[in-house]
Amino acid sequence: MTDVTITALPAAPLHALEIWSNPAAVATRFKKAGGFALPAIGRSDGSDALRLIRYEPTVWLVEGDVSALSGILADDGALTAIGGSVVRVQLSGKGWRTLLMEGGVFDAENPNFASGCSAATIIDHVNVRLHVVDDDTCHAYVPLSYSEAMIHFWTTAALSLTR
Amino acid sequence: MMQFTCPHCGPRDQAEFIYERTADAVVSLDAAPEEAMKSLFTRNNPRGVDEEIWRHTYGCRAWMVIARNRVTNEISATRAVGPEALP
Amino acid sequence: MINFSFDGKTYQAQKGDTLAAALLRNGIGLVGRSFKYHRPRGIMTAGVEEPNALVTVGDGGRTEPNTRATDVFVYEGLVAKSQNRWPNLSFDIGAVFGLAAPVLSAGFYYKTFFGSAKRWMFYEYFIRKAAGLGNAPTKTDPDHFSQRAAFCDVLVVGAGPAGLSAALEAAEAGKRVILVEQDNILGASLIRDGQDRDGAWVEATQARIRAAGGRILSRTTASGYWEHDLVTLTQRVAEPGQIPMHGVAQRLWHVRAGQVILATGSIERPMAFGHNDRPGVMLSQAVRTYVRRFGVVPGKRVVIATNNDDAYKTAYALKAAGAEVVAVLDARPAPAGTDSGLPVYNNAVPLSTKGARHCLKSVTALVHGLTESWDADLIAVSGGFTPVVHLHMQAGGTLDWNDAAQAFVPAASRQNVTTIGGAANPDPVFNVVPVSKPKKSFIDFQNDVTLSDVDLAWAEGYRSVEHLKRYTTLGMATDQGKLSNMAALGRLAEKQGVAIPEAGLTTFRPPYTPVTMGLLAGAGAKDAGAHVRRLALYDVHAAKNPIWQPLGYWFRPRAYPVGSETLAQAAMREAKAVRSNVGMTDVSTLAKFEVSGPDASAFLEIICATTVGKLAVGRGRYTFMLREDGFVFDDGTVWRLDENRYLLTSSTGGADRMATHISYVRQYLCPHLRVSAVNVQEHYAGIAVAGPQAKAALAALIGEEPSRHMSTVTAMIAGVPVIVLAASYSGERAFEIYVEASQAGPVWAACEAEVAKQGGALYGLEAMEFLRIEKGHLVVGGEVDGRMTPHDLALDKMLNKAGGYVGASGLSRPALSEAGRRQLVGLEAIEGDIPEGAMLVTGEGVSPQGHVSAAAFRIMDGGSIALGQLTDGFARHGEELIATSPTRGQMARVRVVAPHFYDTAGERYRD
Repeated sequence: MTDVTITALPAAPLHALEIWSNPAAVATRFKKAGGFALPAIGRSDGSDALRLIRYEPTVWLVEGDVSALSGILADDGALTAIGGSVVRVQLSGKGWRTLLMEGGVFDAENPNFASGCSAATIIDHVNVRLHVVDDDTCHAYVPLSYSEAMIHFWTTAALSLTR
Repeated sequence: MMQFTCPHCGPRDQAEFIYERTADAVVSLDAAPEEAMKSLFTRNNPRGVDEEIWRHTYGCRAWMVIARNRVTNEISATRAVGPEALP
Repeated sequence: MINFSFDGKTYQAQKGDTLAAALLRNGIGLVGRSFKYHRPRGIMTAGVEEPNALVTVGDGGRTEPNTRATDVFVYEGLVAKSQNRWPNLSFDIGAVFGLAAPVLSAGFYYKTFFGSAKRWMFYEYFIRKAAGLGNAPTKTDPDHFSQRAAFCDVLVVGAGPAGLSAALEAAEAGKRVILVEQDNILGASLIRDGQDRDGAWVEATQARIRAAGGRILSRTTASGYWEHDLVTLTQRVAEPGQIPMHGVAQRLWHVRAGQVILATGSIERPMAFGHNDRPGVMLSQAVRTYVRRFGVVPGKRVVIATNNDDAYKTAYALKAAGAEVVAVLDARPAPAGTDSGLPVYNNAVPLSTKGARHCLKSVTALVHGLTESWDADLIAVSGGFTPVVHLHMQAGGTLDWNDAAQAFVPAASRQNVTTIGGAANPDPVFNVVPVSKPKKSFIDFQNDVTLSDVDLAWAEGYRSVEHLKRYTTLGMATDQGKLSNMAALGRLAEKQGVAIPEAGLTTFRPPYTPVTMGLLAGAGAKDAGAHVRRLALYDVHAAKNPIWQPLGYWFRPRAYPVGSETLAQAAMREAKAVRSNVGMTDVSTLAKFEVSGPDASAFLEIICATTVGKLAVGRGRYTFMLREDGFVFDDGTVWRLDENRYLLTSSTGGADRMATHISYVRQYLCPHLRVSAVNVQEHYAGIAVAGPQAKAALAALIGEEPSRHMSTVTAMIAGVPVIVLAASYSGERAFEIYVEASQAGPVWAACEAEVAKQGGALYGLEAMEFLRIEKGHLVVGGEVDGRMTPHDLALDKMLNKAGGYVGASGLSRPALSEAGRRQLVGLEAIEGDIPEGAMLVTGEGVSPQGHVSAAAFRIMDGGSIALGQLTDGFARHGEELIATSPTRGQMARVRVVAPHFYDTAGERYRD
């Protein structure tokens, strides 16, 4: 059996940050105010206080305090609360990569998919966003309505995981 | 199951994508009725390469135009579609 | 020793035995009965190509019929049964079909179609009873089936010497490598023909591949080659019928490979001669495998028939094991080299065999034109080698003809695949044209097809190889012609007077070997196949034990029966509570989009066919959306939350479609707009409170005067921020309360307490349906069925006169406003209850002029009412029609009325 533990994390305020105009200028303003750049596609950046995960070409998922962001966006974008839509599921232990291959189509076993990387994919017919926290931890962002089913799916699959 | 190279995410499984329509079936918002109906109902459907619109629905949700050979499934080009975005 | 049972009797096997090896070890030669003629059959091969030795393995839900005895490794307690026999294997009543063989020739099945239907019915009974293989299990499979993805730079199929070397080279070059082998140990031909040092090499190579990070999957078959180098592997985690260690019986791998190397080897061919299907007729390499790998000698006096050098190895192996080789029939005209010390006959081909009590007795051959016979209990046959090109062909490859080997070999491919080893370079052979009597000279053992069946098909005009296959059933069933196709092609080419490559080939389709259905279903095998979407408030509803209703992937409460109430009783009570007092229901599944930005109203006026921009902040309105061809495809409400922020709702069933549509319009058609449209369907849970007391209930909940109809405010309920939309679907004064899903519990509890205080009730989908039908509100998928224009639904007055919305130009087509279209009407029963789905007709024998889309009863007053679509319905109010549902055997007389049965002036919305 491969080592992996599946835990649903408590609900958190999450926002979608979308930029609809002047992305370069917004990026400059953001870096100046936030101290780090808006992450590129497939990447995340920030700290526990404020973390951004690139979601779509023009959208970032924001975890943490968004109060400063409206000013930075000005008229070039908007924030929309989406936290209710998502259950964050923590997969911890060395086996998370193997577990994510079950029912999946994404190469989570690729060593390049490392800490700070993010990808959205489909696992057992459910759309899931993955965020690699560190070598032993990956967070999966699962639609609320499918979270029960996915946790069950992963728990069952974890019982019979072998490399 | 095919594999497409998403302009944003790289090579990904077809299961993450949803087919929309061929590029010649796009009805622009200001299309005259006759033109709109032609786009919707009179299409080329070539045996060979055609331009298809796909969406990376279960990935980055972006739209793209994929030139696919309907006989061999060879993908000869992929082009991103959508608003201006940072890299 | 390992105990197993066959047809109820217990036997012992050695560790590592296949079932076939174990049966032969126990002297069991008769293993099954043939498909059509019920002829006794034994074990012919030692691999997945086995056509005869099909058995049912396992018990109960783990039963696996049609398992090749050569492709299951014996485990303690294995239970196997022979198939297609009654009452038992050695005395089979069906064998009478063998006597009837002249009648059961090629195309027999199709010929029974001619003549009267009665004749077919008569034949069908016997055909169905007699034909076929094992029986499908009737119990649920208790095991799990896993599906897993894998990615690699190089996928190597086949762990013989060529495959092992290729995998080692790639792995040590730093590539991600997967090596698959269908056997449970690696080595392939080396297991049969290798020396001790070869065994050591296999071990060492395996270890090096693993050390370099390569993944080796044994007992795994590459069964399908799909687009863009996707290969599916079927892995036997447990043997057929075996209880798996960790619950997973099999695993289906989806491997996306950068490059695929096929080292799949070849399959030995049988020869066509009379009675070549008896137990005791085996392939030469199979005999050698039993002798050398399993230490089982399947015969004491052996005849070898060959057209190549390889079979001599079998002769030596048999001799070394103590068997007597009585003759080597070599079809080649001259001796193949040095004296072998064997009784070799050149220019010799087998003609027929004789048997007794299901054993081989003697072999007759044509030697230099003269017949000669030998007593023998085994004939080992080698008719050449067929490269395993299945995966190459599934990948869309082409083949070349290798004349020296009389075989097709892989040529070009449009995918990144190469074939190496024996599959690319088969041994040379001598071409033998069958000279035996065609009648009992079998070429397809599994389907009982003989040379004479090919001849008959030809005589009856079947020229194409594809037609030949369908007419004779050649190459079908579990072995898919692995042994038979080349023999059939040879005969067909002979008939056509052409070379084999000109005769054509049938298509190679996945899977290479049979795949169990559970494996294809994967984790979904355990329930409906798709996950159920759960409401945020699922636990709250479940505690009330409602009647659930599937709605797309969602499950929603249909009604909350009290005591012994039926669905209809509960739903009517709930609906009455809404009409007379107050009710509440969960509306969380509605599609919801938050649209913000300076261009939000411009964007919404493209999506919606109604005006949006004129809405004052805090106000909302009904809206609908069109497809590009002008037909209505969804409806909902739009609310201006702020100057540049809107909330758009639309139907549950259309939610995913609407999300795609909004994204398409925003990203593809309008990339320049300064707008963000975010799907918040699941972010907000929704609770509707409706009824004459709804306003009072809400006032108590939010502590202030509720907003007027079609207005929105933000408020706090139970300390949780909510958005209140004063909208009504029921026809009563009503409010939809939206709350972030994770905090919905306390808000629901507060609402429920307040509704209870007012003496109200919870209501489900069924009551909601009654309410909306009476009010004449539409359902997407019901009245809005994709064929109705805004005019047909009497929505045209709401259309945005400025145009510019999706579908505006499609809607302008003259045909969409011509007379004769179906239009929305109400129906009132004059006599009988209106059946849902009924046709609307003017009398008997007249074509239907419409249909009933939804039927219900007046909630407070009783009486059957319905909504429907009727040709030119707007102008037919007052007309009497018949609503008939022949499928339900129900009928009603109805009167056409306006589609509003309740509060047509909308007075109940006003305070």
